[in-house]
Amino acid sequence: MLQGAFAGLAAGGVYAVIAVCLTLMAQLVRVINFSQAAVGMFGAFLAVSFAGMGVPQVPAIALGIVVGALMSAGLGMIIATWLPEASISARSAVTVAALLLLISMSFILFGTKPKTFRAVFSGPAFTFQGVVISQVTVVMVILAVVVSVAAKLVLGKTTIGVKLRAIADRPVAAELLGVPVKPLAIGVWAVTGIIVGIAIAVVAPTQTSDAVSLSMLVISASAAALLGGFKRLDLALIGGLLLGMTQGAAAQFSQLILLRDWIPLVVIVVFLLWNQRREVWDAAR
Amino acid sequence: MSKKSLAATAISAVCLMALTACGGNATGSTAAGQPIVVASVNALSGPVTFSEASQAAKAVFDKFNADGGLNGRPIQYEVLDDKSDPAAATAAARDAVGKGAVALVGSASLLDCEVNSKYYEQEGLVSIQGTGVDPNCFSTPSISPVNSGPYLDSQLTLTYGSEKLGLKKICGLLEIAGSTRPAYQKAFDAWSKATGKTFAMLDDTVPYGAPDFTPYVVKAKEAGCDAIFSNGVEPDASGVLKAAEAQGMKDMTFLFLTSAYSEQFAQAASFVGKGVYVPAEFSPYTVDGIAANDDWRELMEKNNIPLTSFGQGGYLAATHFLETLRTIKGDVTHETVAAAFKAQTRPSENAMTGTPFIFGAGDSHSSNTAGWPITIRPGSTTWESAANDWMTVK
Repeated sequence: MLQGAFAGLAAGGVYAVIAVCLTLMAQLVRVINFSQAAVGMFGAFLAVSFAGMGVPQVPAIALGIVVGALMSAGLGMIIATWLPEASISARSAVTVAALLLLISMSFILFGTKPKTFRAVFSGPAFTFQGVVISQVTVVMVILAVVVSVAAKLVLGKTTIGVKLRAIADRPVAAELLGVPVKPLAIGVWAVTGIIVGIAIAVVAPTQTSDAVSLSMLVISASAAALLGGFKRLDLALIGGLLLGMTQGAAAQFSQLILLRDWIPLVVIVVFLLWNQRREVWDAAR
Repeated sequence: MSKKSLAATAISAVCLMALTACGGNATGSTAAGQPIVVASVNALSGPVTFSEASQAAKAVFDKFNADGGLNGRPIQYEVLDDKSDPAAATAAARDAVGKGAVALVGSASLLDCEVNSKYYEQEGLVSIQGTGVDPNCFSTPSISPVNSGPYLDSQLTLTYGSEKLGLKKICGLLEIAGSTRPAYQKAFDAWSKATGKTFAMLDDTVPYGAPDFTPYVVKAKEAGCDAIFSNGVEPDASGVLKAAEAQGMKDMTFLFLTSAYSEQFAQAASFVGKGVYVPAEFSPYTVDGIAANDDWRELMEKNNIPLTSFGQGGYLAATHFLETLRTIKGDVTHETVAAAFKAQTRPSENAMTGTPFIFGAGDSHSSNTAGWPITIRPGSTTWESAANDWMTVK
């Protein structure tokens, strides 16, 4: 049980990183970015292709992450240019199209077979009470914590953080005050693209590395982000880690098979019920 | 939205763009008479793809046509896509019949047999399956696969593990698609009956295409196993290895199926514990010095077809089909072709399989009952032979 929970921690770390990025995007640029993990997947696949052309491993990964971030920025530019005033649902729908496009493109460019990722980190890091904690788990959990703490500090303590909060809350007023709304929004897309790119590059060698599996990490990450209502970074972080650990522990019991894939959904439903508990029926509808 | 439906949506988009590639086309040839139509139903798009079987069969037919065909009549080979979707598979079978196919040859699909076996029977068509996966491929009168299939494959790999490698505690990680569970159970029971061994732990709830197999390999470790048996296709089998690597399972042996046998898989395997073992359903093509594969290899390389087990299956299905086709006196129709196969009493020998192929009159057909043990040894990234001869099970 405990062993299983720790076994799910690596996946939990990935969920947490993506969940934190999803929360940031929802807060700052009013988008639930369904293509978040797909961008990282595409960057990682590109890195494998570059490595195949003889580029050394670290520059190849960096190059893949940069291209992924540029694609993310491109998508951000499209949304900022043509859908600046649109509702969050309309803006998010564009990212679903981007998700499908990225999966299709990776099939065309890289084929449907899983890729051979050379691991940046591999093997066990240490054993804790008979439980093996892998290097990837350690790196992912640290990355998740660092990203959420850094995001919190940047938003709370810096000038750029204030401007970012301004464009999120009152984009028109911010623009009138001379805040560069569009470049900042595109910057948010690029930065989250880089963060998720790093997360996928670390985790891809230890996971099922085909385009669909990697892109669909966004589903569990969305469930984790919901725990913080797409508003709170700390809850997104905790949600991600908890979700991974719960899935890992649930896999230890064959009786729970039916529940295993439902965990994210159950989390979402319970959260929404809790969140809507004070709403009167008419308003909640 | 489920992963599978999303993948299907994504791939349909790709297929729309490449519609011509997903369909079949007639072959040009030096044989210029009335064409004999032959079809195959394949997983060309969808969550899992087997494209090499029909490509290999097409290469065999192209060569046959270039050599003058059957008394000047060329084979017109129709390659149809079932998208691993029951509705598309049903449509593909009807399309084959509509095009006037005299038989199905070299099909490689996850569900063609399950969806279409009754329809083939009703239409009086026979299918010489290149890669049979679902249980109906091995239990219906109208279909005879050239491969041994995942169930016998499981029995072979488990027998090799417990008897040849002397593994004491084997844990099973089983992925179940559709109605395959009873067929696997039959294979496990046959292994237990013959060897007296059973699984130390069997988890038949392992999901297809899980992003992370760590929780499942941890379960095997907790059970104190010295080997993991998995029926996963390539990405999943490599996922199991990666999870075991992260957990530092250096003393684990891995027993996989032919679906994990490819050069890419071996190259991707940075960690194999004490070794990966697979009973290859056809003569292993990555091992030098096996003359049985020479003709197949030459044909594949000439046509730029990747070397895979699926390609071997397609090649064999087409070769056996042509052998029987040449024996038909008079008209070539689906009735005469079916009659010729059902009347077959002398098996077709081919050194690429351990047991000869036969269709015959029975209610079920599974003539391939042998596997050639191959392995990836620790520190290696290539497949090597792990035996000097075929192994068979009762």
